[in-house]
Amino acid sequence: MATHSQPLSVLSGRVKARKCGLKVLLTHNTFRRVIQLSFATFILYLIVQHALVGENSAAVTASPETYCPFGGLETLYKYITSGGAFVSHTHLSNVVILVAVLVTALLLRSAFCGWICPLGFLQDLISNLSSFLQKRIPRLRRAFASLRAHGVYWSVLDHYLRYTKYLILVWAVAGSAYYGYMVFRDYDPWATLLNLAEFSLTPGAIILAVILVASFLVERPWCRYACPLGAVSGLLGKLSPVYLKREDTACKVCQLCTKACPMGLPVHTATTITSADCISCLECVGACPRNGALEVKFGLPLIGK
Amino acid sequence: MRINPMVYGVLVLIVFIGVILGFQAAGVWSVSGKISSSGDQVQPVAGEVDTIKGWMTLEQISTTYNVPIADILKQFELPPDTSPSTAIKDLETDLFSVTNLRTWLQSRMQPAEAPQIISTSAAPIRQITSTPAVSAPVAPVPKEHVAADRTVTGKTTFQELLDWGIPRDAIQKVIGSDIPATSMVVKDFVTGKGMQFPTVKTQLQSLVDQTK
Repeated sequence: MATHSQPLSVLSGRVKARKCGLKVLLTHNTFRRVIQLSFATFILYLIVQHALVGENSAAVTASPETYCPFGGLETLYKYITSGGAFVSHTHLSNVVILVAVLVTALLLRSAFCGWICPLGFLQDLISNLSSFLQKRIPRLRRAFASLRAHGVYWSVLDHYLRYTKYLILVWAVAGSAYYGYMVFRDYDPWATLLNLAEFSLTPGAIILAVILVASFLVERPWCRYACPLGAVSGLLGKLSPVYLKREDTACKVCQLCTKACPMGLPVHTATTITSADCISCLECVGACPRNGALEVKFGLPLIGK
Repeated sequence: MRINPMVYGVLVLIVFIGVILGFQAAGVWSVSGKISSSGDQVQPVAGEVDTIKGWMTLEQISTTYNVPIADILKQFELPPDTSPSTAIKDLETDLFSVTNLRTWLQSRMQPAEAPQIISTSAAPIRQITSTPAVSAPVAPVPKEHVAADRTVTGKTTFQELLDWGIPRDAIQKVIGSDIPATSMVVKDFVTGKGMQFPTVKTQLQSLVDQTK
């Protein structure tokens, strides 16, 4: 944890020094991508290994589903009430990883979503591809600009759609507790992706396709509107002592932070960013051109001071 | 207090991975239903159909629940040439599922348990009725469960042990719990409880030898 003393406060509000050479890569953004890539590679390794070895082999391989924290949430009720039993497709590892996600949320907000979640990373990759193509294909750029012209309608829709994830959370957890199996699994795009080797056309496969296509238009559509794990993590993150602080005195309201936010949060209008939708990716901090205008702070939970 | 974004990333890694490693170090970790948290292979338990999992093979089910594979295949209209090593979840049809198999096996076990109650309560009566046989030498009626050489094997049932005259208490002491359905194979029960069958077998055999 680094604290800044007098010299930085003098720099507050000034434009950040331009980085050259390798220093351009030595940023938290690069570090975040490396972490995301590492976890995604690990999951990919599990998928391939499990598909190659197979279920009926003498060698026991872990199914990639055993590393899904949401599985832990779905099985938690049965695990507690039955004294250690699990709903199908879940194991102790799911519960342990869920605890890790919740502890991370409690201490560092929804950092799991922004720094670790492979499904979030996949959406980031597609959104980056979309930006790349827009820069190179003028017709595509114009089409997206035309869509953005209807921003008012989108923002109203966006506002209400964000509550969907809480409904999904209640349905998935309560349904699993009531019926004793994962009611959400057939609709879960992540479960579909993990079981791609044994593909079947489930609602989850359709939802996955919709998400991948939607990621071209909207950044992180699954995280914004439908991810039940993000909903839990975001709510718990409200209790975290970590928050983002925008300094009015240093900020020139250039809105680069808002444009950089993959969750579409209005960072430039907030004083402290404690939204449950914030995934703590710190893209806004990286995009901010001024020293001390937007920083990660450690303070008292809830009040953010 | 300000946190450097790079340090924040390091903290995320430390907290997330640290919690998982902590649980793993405490032995609270399992990624497969085939292996328990103590690292032992999970097996179906005779008499407890809820322990049947989709990855278990037809052979395992047949051995544990004393049901011929042919009967399972016939009951659920599965191809007769199905390999015994096939996982039951790979055989799912409209008629066959893990749940249906559990229900069917449970229903098969019910009638098997009924005569045990009768035989246990009827034991003294049998002794009385057998008294005249002493004066009138009649060839003993062979019992279904009694093995000729009184050797504990992988197919010996609890009923056979009782028939050989081993007290119920002595058997329960060896297996460390109450005797389940007496028609159950001792080996299935013992391995299902995670015990070593050879050890139990030796102890039971010594009890059998004492009663000879």
